[in-house]
Amino acid sequence: MRYILLVLVLLTFLLTSCAPQTHQPLVYGLTLAPSGIDPHVNASSELGIPLSSVYDTLVYQDPATGEFVPGLAQRWDVSEDGLVYTFYLRDDVTFHDDTPFDAEAVRFNLERITDPALASQKAAFMLGPYARTEVVGEYEVQIHLSEPFAPLLDALSQVYLGMASPTAVEEWGDEYQLHQVGSGPFVFAEYVPGDYLLLRRNPDYAWGPSIYQHDTAQVEEIRFEFFTDPATRSPALETGEAHIMGEIPPQDAVRLTEDEGFYVEAAAIPGVSLMMFMNTTRAPLDDPLVRQALLYGTNRAAIVSTAFRGTSPVAYGPLAAVTRGYDPAVEAYYPYDATTAAALLEQAGWVDADNDGVRERDGEPLTLEMYLMGWGYMPEVGQLLASQWAEIGIAVQSEVVSYPEALEIGAEGRHHLIPFNLSGSDPDILRKFFHSQASFNWAHIDDAEMDGWLEEAARTSDETRRDALYRQVQLRVMDQALVLPIRDYVNLNGVSGSVSDLRFDAQGWFPILIDVTLEE
Amino acid sequence: MIEWTARARRPLLRQPVTALALAWLVLLVLETLVLPPLLPTDPRFADPAQVLLPPAAGHVLGTDALGRDVLSRLVWGGRWTLGMAMAALVVTFVLGLPVGLAAGSLGGRVDALTMRVVDALLAFPALLLAMVVVAILGTGLLPVAVAVGITAAPAHARMVRSVALEIRSRPYIDAARSVGCPPLRIALRHILPNAAPVLIAFATTQLGWILINGAALNFLGLGAPLGTPEWGAMLAEGRGYLRDGPWISVFPGLALTLTVLAAHLVGNGIEEALKRD
Repeated sequence: MRYILLVLVLLTFLLTSCAPQTHQPLVYGLTLAPSGIDPHVNASSELGIPLSSVYDTLVYQDPATGEFVPGLAQRWDVSEDGLVYTFYLRDDVTFHDDTPFDAEAVRFNLERITDPALASQKAAFMLGPYARTEVVGEYEVQIHLSEPFAPLLDALSQVYLGMASPTAVEEWGDEYQLHQVGSGPFVFAEYVPGDYLLLRRNPDYAWGPSIYQHDTAQVEEIRFEFFTDPATRSPALETGEAHIMGEIPPQDAVRLTEDEGFYVEAAAIPGVSLMMFMNTTRAPLDDPLVRQALLYGTNRAAIVSTAFRGTSPVAYGPLAAVTRGYDPAVEAYYPYDATTAAALLEQAGWVDADNDGVRERDGEPLTLEMYLMGWGYMPEVGQLLASQWAEIGIAVQSEVVSYPEALEIGAEGRHHLIPFNLSGSDPDILRKFFHSQASFNWAHIDDAEMDGWLEEAARTSDETRRDALYRQVQLRVMDQALVLPIRDYVNLNGVSGSVSDLRFDAQGWFPILIDVTLEE
Repeated sequence: MIEWTARARRPLLRQPVTALALAWLVLLVLETLVLPPLLPTDPRFADPAQVLLPPAAGHVLGTDALGRDVLSRLVWGGRWTLGMAMAALVVTFVLGLPVGLAAGSLGGRVDALTMRVVDALLAFPALLLAMVVVAILGTGLLPVAVAVGITAAPAHARMVRSVALEIRSRPYIDAARSVGCPPLRIALRHILPNAAPVLIAFATTQLGWILINGAALNFLGLGAPLGTPEWGAMLAEGRGYLRDGPWISVFPGLALTLTVLAAHLVGNGIEEALKRD
């Protein structure tokens, strides 16, 4: 009996060693394991890293120029009133399950996304005032809006509005996220939640947009693994466990840059910079002088060089410098000047009468409550701010809270200061933060004029007019000192020297995986 | 009646290791009381020009990732860490002692009932229980002290009970009972004083355990407010910099290890000293 077992074991070893070892998969480290990865349903940026190569979109945004280029739609036109977008689709596209792609598939996808039963967290909102989709011909489809919406093409260029195979969606129903089928350069092969996600090259891919340099993918397989603990990311890269690793801690990025075997691909993320929202409805921050004093009293360059080891640019306004519509005029605002800060505080009536290091007014000490989230180096930023503000006589009480708690605190206005950042390539993102009705109006500002600018800019398709409106918004935000910008977000990707041609899309988050090559 | 005035077999200070450990603890307590205000650098002051400096003159133990002096954080940290442990120990005594004493000196149904509850609590992983308590009370140094104190209390109660049970079987307790001494008086006047030395030894050992659990909760960010120099929190701050700034976590780690070890050794030493011939 024992001999039979031995022979069996040996045979097993023999057989496994015979298995074809034609390729090693490229291992791509993701930073968190999202609970849901259906781009139509979930909102995580993490899901888009693999899935933007599984799905094709109607249009693409060229990361170099910011222009929209054809994707599944060969061309498109917009009606005079901006309410109807007509897309003329490619007729040679098939999904990975051999379902042909046509106008009906577009209608199916958009109807799925906007169906309230799906409870879409992001995609449905990206469609803005979407009304309905009309199939005009087999390869001609119209999207109707209830009012003009300038960011529509930007939305349609993102994976959240990627085109899924109607057959697969209907077949799998609630389990679709485990069996996703698109038409992109990679096939969704296997997904074990929390463990790994495997993509396999789609050999039939022939309809890539002009921003792709190759017709088909250059690597056979990409295996995505999750490295939630930042401290494990660079070691995994350095031991060869992974070839590409997202969100490397700044200090590790500095070391990797100096290491010959690796390089760091820093992707600047457009959107709203990391900034502290100052609650304009809560004393003492209801006084613009105090808010301006905080801005003057903050040495942002020191924060960036310390907490981010100089890997991110200093932020000057509400928009990151790489965002469309960014106005460099904000860079002249509030240079670090502790003397001016102190003078402004005195002007506002805050004086340190009892010499305890903290200013008072009417016996009340100048203490600010700051709530921080545990990621993105916000605790470090908070501690540095507290240390800098101690110099100008401001005391800070900070607390680290979870994301749901932060949402509640921000909305209710229980904070003096609370940070946030959000990525997005269209400046309409400002409407989420500075419109009086916005869900992230954490500065608690109610400025009818600014509301008007933001609403008009969302409706206008004239780019010059939009830029002018967003310029006004950015300057108003800084004039009123509604936020304290800290840094523009940069996604630091550690890359093994064996990997080349890793580029990122216009969002900065999503790699263009079709062109990536791996030396074996 | 008190019987522990009898000569100890090995006085505490005749055990070199225990004496050394005791000296470390005494020094540490003195240090945390006296030294912090005398330090030249503020433990929260972040100097962007002095980030991640290795130990050298000026910054004897180096600086951390935000440019703060590790030495001054370590010294101030002792105050927070030990203070929290002491507060937790008080909570342990307040909760554990009455329960254990009642169970041990009354026996019977009281004993059976309380000990089942204690068993149930002991079966629960300590750190998890502490985290549940923190989740209810909210984060902060005092909640952590209470949480750690509560988790240490069941073991404490068990110890008090077993000592009380043992003392209860001594002839002088029978004597006290036969002259009509009420149970409460027996517990407080006859059992407790005789149990005291063993309990002090046990409490010292528990102190080490409390220090570790308190530091663990702080490490997880559930304890001291952000930026507080506390040893567990310092370990957490340094763990992202093990390659480029090991000194950030090595020194608080070392301080914690030595203190826990010292508490354990002193506890053992007291126990040794109490052993009768």
